[in-house]
Amino acid sequence: CILNCFLSLLVFGRAIHAIARISDEFSFDPIEKGLALRSVNSSRSAYAYVFFSSMFFQHYCWRAVSQPCQKEKQLSLPCKLIIKSVLPVFRCVNVLERNVEKCSIYTNINDHHVTFQLLCKYGVVKTYNLTCQECDPLQAVFARHMCPNILKVHSRLLADIMIHFPTSQEEVTLSVTPMKVCFKSYTEEDTDFSKTMLTEIQLNPDEFDYFQVGVDSEVTFCLKELRGLLAFSEATSVPVSIHFDVSGKPIAFSIEDMVLEASFILATLSDVEKETASQQPPDFSQRQERKPPWDGIAPNTEPAKPVSLLAKQEIKSIPRVTTREVTGMEGTAMTETEGHAMLGGEAREHCKDFKVAKASEIINLQILHHVVSYFYKRCIFQFHSLFFGAVSCKEDAISHTFHSLATASDTEEDFGNVQSSQV
Amino acid sequence: MRFRAKIVDLACLNHFSRVINTIAKLAKTCALRLTVSKLYFILSDKVANGGVSMWCELCQGNFFDEFQMEGVAAEHNEIYLELVPENLSRALKTAQNAKAVKIKLTNKHCPCLRVAVELPSLSSSSRMVTHDIPVGVIPRRLWNDFREPSVPDFDVSIYLPVLKTMKSVVERMKNLSNSIVIEANLSGEMNLKIETDLVSVTTHFKDLGNPPWASEDGCQSSAQSRDLESMAEARIDIKKLLQLLAGQQVNPTKALCNIVSKRIVHFILLHEDVSLQYFIPALA
Repeated sequence: CILNCFLSLLVFGRAIHAIARISDEFSFDPIEKGLALRSVNSSRSAYAYVFFSSMFFQHYCWRAVSQPCQKEKQLSLPCKLIIKSVLPVFRCVNVLERNVEKCSIYTNINDHHVTFQLLCKYGVVKTYNLTCQECDPLQAVFARHMCPNILKVHSRLLADIMIHFPTSQEEVTLSVTPMKVCFKSYTEEDTDFSKTMLTEIQLNPDEFDYFQVGVDSEVTFCLKELRGLLAFSEATSVPVSIHFDVSGKPIAFSIEDMVLEASFILATLSDVEKETASQQPPDFSQRQERKPPWDGIAPNTEPAKPVSLLAKQEIKSIPRVTTREVTGMEGTAMTETEGHAMLGGEAREHCKDFKVAKASEIINLQILHHVVSYFYKRCIFQFHSLFFGAVSCKEDAISHTFHSLATASDTEEDFGNVQSSQV
Repeated sequence: MRFRAKIVDLACLNHFSRVINTIAKLAKTCALRLTVSKLYFILSDKVANGGVSMWCELCQGNFFDEFQMEGVAAEHNEIYLELVPENLSRALKTAQNAKAVKIKLTNKHCPCLRVAVELPSLSSSSRMVTHDIPVGVIPRRLWNDFREPSVPDFDVSIYLPVLKTMKSVVERMKNLSNSIVIEANLSGEMNLKIETDLVSVTTHFKDLGNPPWASEDGCQSSAQSRDLESMAEARIDIKKLLQLLAGQQVNPTKALCNIVSKRIVHFILLHEDVSLQYFIPALA
């Protein structure tokens, strides 16, 4: 049973709304150090993580519930809530703070219940009982410190920039050089220019609190998914950090302060033009990192398995991956990539015109691809959940937003070896 | 064909934005006619528009600090463009505290109106926001479609009631009926009527006043001989009327309508430097 009360309803409500833009459901994961909310969209191209430390709450009480039937000593699994059932609780957040004196959340994992209770003015008590489902824990792994490009800016500025784009604008391209920063509407070769209004905003690097451009790049991401984070960060008044690399690699928007942290990681469109036409692995024209940004996700030993997983997804995006980002190739790892290359080959027949798929359709194959971690040699794992590693038993260092984890429910012998890697 | 213009004054910019917003509410697509001294937003009365037509005229000098135009040819020193006014409205919406707004006709991938907004920023250099609005160039052979409509031979001309009041009345009527009857007489009385199987509602306005029209003898006599109490009426689409009323962001200096019985209603809204005419045909 867990009890906690809010310090700031507005902030929490905005976090829920931000997550709502990512997916219809999210994982609600109270742990000793605080409450973690995570969500990933259906195409696996956007991941949201919001963590409220226990200090965010006026009162936070958490007790591990031991479950006798569990094989290992594991924390209770996070539960999954449907966004639609939680949103009504935080409807009109701006008004909420004025009318609500106290908000409490109770969870009873055994019962699969989460209760939100709002104590409002004039003695009105609103209680929302929501059922939740157990779900596989999600965790994205993203090495922010590996990103060559880092921008830090107050959320107000970001909002002022994004306001120039119509609300219907799906994708936006961020283009940086050491001299300037530019946000513009995304266009592709077959954009009908006679029908589309294009917007471009040019900024001076001075406008940013922190500006580091290690490599000139142009990344395209989904603006719609980001807007929620912008509103949320405005409520917190915490500056937003943007970590990114070249096109194709994910971009992370994060905020962090004493009592909370949040990260929205979005896939970016790969630059198809740079693709080699051949099916051979790469001709690296680009800088490759030794340690891939997306790390620590265990690969599947049989190439066949990824194929079936991927087959469900947008085939179009496959070719891009096979010729890029094949890093850290070790002998064993080749099987993995060959598996992809094969898939890529088949996929090529399907899309000879190398059409760039929309950002939202992209699987973040980066994760899958960088399953080639240097742990691969030592351990054998199974995918626990698609693209994301499961949360380990040792819930260490919550202060690190991301840590490399992989766990398998049935191959635990080598479990201990894997743990480290605080990426 | 060249066009470039610049607005530096914030008040002018806001005024211009308001005009564009009004136009955007009235027409999805319209023609923009540029001459040396004026801008016109024109919607011609095609069937696709439901027969409505619009003519909006602005003096460029009242809005732009710089205005340079070179038409298609020396003897036809005008430019006709087809555009979606909503795009222009959106581009100007976030320019409310701009240092300067420049509008230029360009042709990169296709003919565009490039709106470049220079915004103040915390750093030494300004923030530049550029919007490329696609436009279509209307060839000279089609210019005849966009001639200024003549004032119809109306039966009654009357000043409109306060637009805000009229709008709230029509808004409520819209829920009850698809068409509305406007009737007015030369005694300053106007009625707005709807009638359905279940209900009929009439709102009466009095003492509105009738504008004096100095016209040729022919019209004068027909108007004079008309019975002051007799109503001229037309049944029009209520949504079109509401579009006109809802789009008004600023109260016009003068607002009047001319009714041609059972044929058409001609609205004229005058601001200091903008005139807007809107024609709504009567329903069969």
